[in-house]
Amino acid sequence: MRISSIFLSLILFLSNVVVANADGRIFVTNERSNTVSVIDAKSLTIESTIEIGKRPRGIGLSPDNTELYVAVSEENKIVVVDPDTLKILREFEAGSDPETFGVHPNGNIYISNEDDAKATVFDPKTGKKIAEIKVGLEPEGVAVSPTGERVIVTSESTNMLHVIKTPENIIENNILVGSRPRAAIFNNSGNIAYATAEISGEVVKVDIVKGKIIQTASTGDSKSKPKDVILSKDENVIYVAGGRANKVVVMDANTLEIIKEIPVGKRVWGLAMSGNGEYIFTTNGVSGTVSVIDTGKNEVIKTIKVGEFPWGVVVKDN
Amino acid sequence: MLVRKFCYLIFILFFSSLSIAAELIEIDFVYIGEREHPSLLGVNQGIDESNLQGQFLNQKYNLDVITSDKIDGYDFSKYIAVLTSLNSKQLKNLAKQLSNTLIFNLADESNKLRHSCIGNILHITPSNKMKSDALEQLKIKKPESNATAQSWHYSFVKFAARDLNKRFKKNYQVKMNDHSWAGWAAVKMTSDTVARTQITNSKEMLNYLKNELSFDGQKGSDMNFRITGQLRQLILLVENDKIVTEAPIRGVAKPPTLDSLGILECS
Repeated sequence: MRISSIFLSLILFLSNVVVANADGRIFVTNERSNTVSVIDAKSLTIESTIEIGKRPRGIGLSPDNTELYVAVSEENKIVVVDPDTLKILREFEAGSDPETFGVHPNGNIYISNEDDAKATVFDPKTGKKIAEIKVGLEPEGVAVSPTGERVIVTSESTNMLHVIKTPENIIENNILVGSRPRAAIFNNSGNIAYATAEISGEVVKVDIVKGKIIQTASTGDSKSKPKDVILSKDENVIYVAGGRANKVVVMDANTLEIIKEIPVGKRVWGLAMSGNGEYIFTTNGVSGTVSVIDTGKNEVIKTIKVGEFPWGVVVKDN
Repeated sequence: MLVRKFCYLIFILFFSSLSIAAELIEIDFVYIGEREHPSLLGVNQGIDESNLQGQFLNQKYNLDVITSDKIDGYDFSKYIAVLTSLNSKQLKNLAKQLSNTLIFNLADESNKLRHSCIGNILHITPSNKMKSDALEQLKIKKPESNATAQSWHYSFVKFAARDLNKRFKKNYQVKMNDHSWAGWAAVKMTSDTVARTQITNSKEMLNYLKNELSFDGQKGSDMNFRITGQLRQLILLVENDKIVTEAPIRGVAKPPTLDSLGILECS
């Protein structure tokens, strides 16, 4: 009796160890392979590849990490995947050409509809459209403040950050920035945002409450077309995906001075950070790889081959 | 007491909302040319987009359209710019008549017009020399080529051209071409400038565009104007209706910049 219970505990212990390995994962959309690469966080190797549909781009997780959302742009839908079993659970229509989206703490998804000058809000549980917000031309980036009071949608051709107040889902402010604003990120308290500007290769720091630009600074290369921008856990540093400059630019979040440039693969667009802030994963579109950056050293510790033209990336910690 | 507090609250809200809303800026353009000219379609696209942006900034854009026979005696004083598909002779006369008004040349390609450096004309469409220089560059790289030089093509996808082509086609059911792109670009650069600087005066706008502008025409960034009033820009080389390459052609263009195309000096 005692031996079998020891044996049972051992089995359970071992299975927990195996399950703990599988919990941490990084998901990457491969725009031209029409797949999602699943990377095991512990071994940093490809665990699985999911056939997802035509031109997958934006990717994100539900607030409780039980659902993975993928914007399958050419099929105008969001596909919902179980991030543990990797099975496709369901899908729903998401307006025309859904590209980038943000997940609100309440579970709703805010999608920028590039061809339609609007952003749409969906409840991913039911697939129901909750709201449509008219924005400027070529809406692209979506950022949700951590506590969910505001959402930013950037419109590239109209050169604006549209600040949307939630839950009313109406535009509170429209801030004119440099040419072609792409991605944006809020700070923890949601009163400041950083956005990348494609044409000028700049990062702009914006006071969201006052609706004013605080500062603009170059990422070092005016021709580089930066894309994603993320903030360190302590909010002291921002990381910018430098596009065709093929590097991640590390900048002081207060002064916007360049601290370091980390060479990664070609045409780096997507960035995601592990929950503890120790690692950043980049999608290098032209190289077809993901670079893993150790943020303590600000160095690449591994490069992982994924599918063709990796675009979006999200980290599921456990 | 409660009623009084309520009234006070309404009073505060009313006045605070007044101060938040920017004062309305209304901008008027006039187009001179034939209604069927493709540049007018581009102008209309530009006006619609400017009004879309304007919705967020409390700016409104209007367009009047007249034919060239209506020029004499017409009152141009309210316009921030005149958009035209006139020929160089008509343009020269108009520029003299409206010496303080910004005039956009959307269609005429004559080299002589660029050489004459008329101060208040901005040429959006490229000159003949820009096109022939581009073709010469291509001939060096690909001697057997039989291409044409254009400022736009409906299949151009780089630099967000795809998005512009897509929405133009959606709105007008025709492909965007050199002239419609020129019409769109002239309006867009003006409204972008109004959005950023609130300039509403034609002479100030002319000055800003000539000296300060860095324009994203969805054809590559950093387009700006030469001393001749010509917009520097990429030239597309097209063979059998397909884009073969863009000039300035790397490795061939001398200098290796947009200044390898066209007229650089006044005569």
